[in-house]
Amino acid sequence: MDLQNMNPSSLKSRFATRFLRALTKINAQKPISSSSSREIFQRYRRIKVAADKSMAYSVRSRRSWSRATLWRLRTRSPRSRLATLARRSSVKTRTTRAASHGATVVDRKSHGKENKEDGGVEAEELRELVPGGEAMDLCNLLDETAHYIKCLTTQVQVMRTIANLYSLH
Amino acid sequence: MAEVLNRTAAQRQPTWNTRGLNSATEQVGNWFLNPNWNNSMDQSDPFESALSSMVSSPAAASNVPVSGENVMMRELIGKLGNICNSGDASCYSTPLNSPPRLNLSMVNLPNQSTLAPFSADPGFADRAARLSCFSTGGNFGGLNDPLMDSFKLSGNQSVNVNGTQSNQNSPMAGNSGSDKKNTGVSRSSSPENAESGVSKEESSVSQQIPSRNDAGTRKRKSIPRGKAKETPSPAAADDKVASENDESNSKRSKRDGAPAGNGNAKATNDGDEKRSKENSKPPEPPKDYIHVRARRGQATDSHSLAERVRREKISERMKFLQDLVPGCNKVIGKAVMLDEIINYVQSLQRQVEFLSMKLATVNPRMDVNMEALLSKMFQSRGLLPQGIYSMDSSAQAFPFGYQPQQGLPLNNGIPNITETQFSMKTQGFQLPSINGFTDANPQVGSVWEDDLQSIVQMGFGQNQPQSYQGSITTGQVKIEL
Repeated sequence: MDLQNMNPSSLKSRFATRFLRALTKINAQKPISSSSSREIFQRYRRIKVAADKSMAYSVRSRRSWSRATLWRLRTRSPRSRLATLARRSSVKTRTTRAASHGATVVDRKSHGKENKEDGGVEAEELRELVPGGEAMDLCNLLDETAHYIKCLTTQVQVMRTIANLYSLH
Repeated sequence: MAEVLNRTAAQRQPTWNTRGLNSATEQVGNWFLNPNWNNSMDQSDPFESALSSMVSSPAAASNVPVSGENVMMRELIGKLGNICNSGDASCYSTPLNSPPRLNLSMVNLPNQSTLAPFSADPGFADRAARLSCFSTGGNFGGLNDPLMDSFKLSGNQSVNVNGTQSNQNSPMAGNSGSDKKNTGVSRSSSPENAESGVSKEESSVSQQIPSRNDAGTRKRKSIPRGKAKETPSPAAADDKVASENDESNSKRSKRDGAPAGNGNAKATNDGDEKRSKENSKPPEPPKDYIHVRARRGQATDSHSLAERVRREKISERMKFLQDLVPGCNKVIGKAVMLDEIINYVQSLQRQVEFLSMKLATVNPRMDVNMEALLSKMFQSRGLLPQGIYSMDSSAQAFPFGYQPQQGLPLNNGIPNITETQFSMKTQGFQLPSINGFTDANPQVGSVWEDDLQSIVQMGFGQNQPQSYQGSITTGQVKIEL
């Protein structure tokens, strides 16, 4: 990774920009030193959501997991329980990434069992981990997992650097 | 992942293009796809008779050794090539495909005449009828499985040999275009041809044929279903040779772009190097289906082929993931690999949670300039060791926070837990920064989550270990998690 000449449009810089913006916004709401633990927890939740959201927005809708994350974030708190139930009931079909660019989750028929039989127990666990993985067959699931891992590592790197910068000053 | 496949597919194309056979293959392929096909069907009528004659003549010499099988096929292909040339010389635009093939001594028929010398063989006529590409202009799918298998046996054997000889036989060069067409026929009649062969044609049939056969047959569907459909070109030899038999097989057909298809299409016995050459040439019209060739010695029914394609795709992706997930190189096996991947994803997610918690508690001492932050982030690597240190210091706080939900007195419970957890946590924290990932992480990961909860419960407000007494005494706050 060339740190000196960072690609301004790389995933890392996109995520870092967005996340920093959200972070400063959150930090501006309340000074940290006087926060109670509850507020700290709330801030933690907000930062976590901001991190996930920033990453998903940086990936746009190119990936199924990013679309699932954005969908989840949009429908989460306002309608929380109902929204999550609605989402779980509508199993997303496997769509090509190009075709579903920008598409949100639509109610569709769930895949037959034959699409998920391969992989066994571990694949089910992986499906739970990767957002939007419930409706994918193993092949696409592995694709999504690979990209998801790449984005997670980027996220961790950026957040760690930010945290270090914060704590050093 | 797809990008990887696309890249590799793009890399494979040049090797394919370097083969000298491509141009001729292309022309034949274009010719097959040419709408003039129907117009030229009249000219293709002699093909069937030629085919019948060709097959019948091989039938006479049934005791040809296996080594001669390839030669037989080449001869047949050469014969067919002559037929093709006689049919429509204009289809071939390269000088290689010049119609006059008088060099072929074994071919008695004049180029422009019908194939009178070929004796009619009813058995061959049946086979010719099955050859959809010549009879109906459809895909070359009318082969039985054993035919294809035997053809593959002979064809693949001859590929490597003929590749080197491709340029040696000048008369055969002219047959190149026609040979491509012959590949379709030879494929169907391969078993008979293999065993019998045409004695006269053996010597002069181009050795280039098998290599072109290879090109043509590379991405063929190995399951001919007898459907009369046109093969775009056996010689096109690219992944997108459409065998529409597979349309019915939903498992096998997959709507992919050409590069992805190239990456996914399976190679013949010859292995990956052949696969690299198989990737489509630019003029090849993009097909929607992934076409697979049945491997030698393997089942050729559509279901098993589709299954094999799927398995190979999955193993490709597993290999890619293996590179992505550190520490997976030693692991072999899908289940264990998946376990490692799951652990890694979980640990990454927990790291994100931990870092966001840390960011929630860390107070930026000064107004943070975002651009300065970014520039520092991206230009400085010196932060990393310090980052480790700060993480360690905060890691020390975690054991203090770790407590059961029952509310044991922290002071008593912590020292016992501290050493174990602290060592685990520091190891866990150091690992991500070193970009290492060991088996200790799964346990660490599970501890992290507890610690995160406990930190909040503690009212964790500072990073310094000295403050833990104070933070503990702040009491416990019930937080819904």
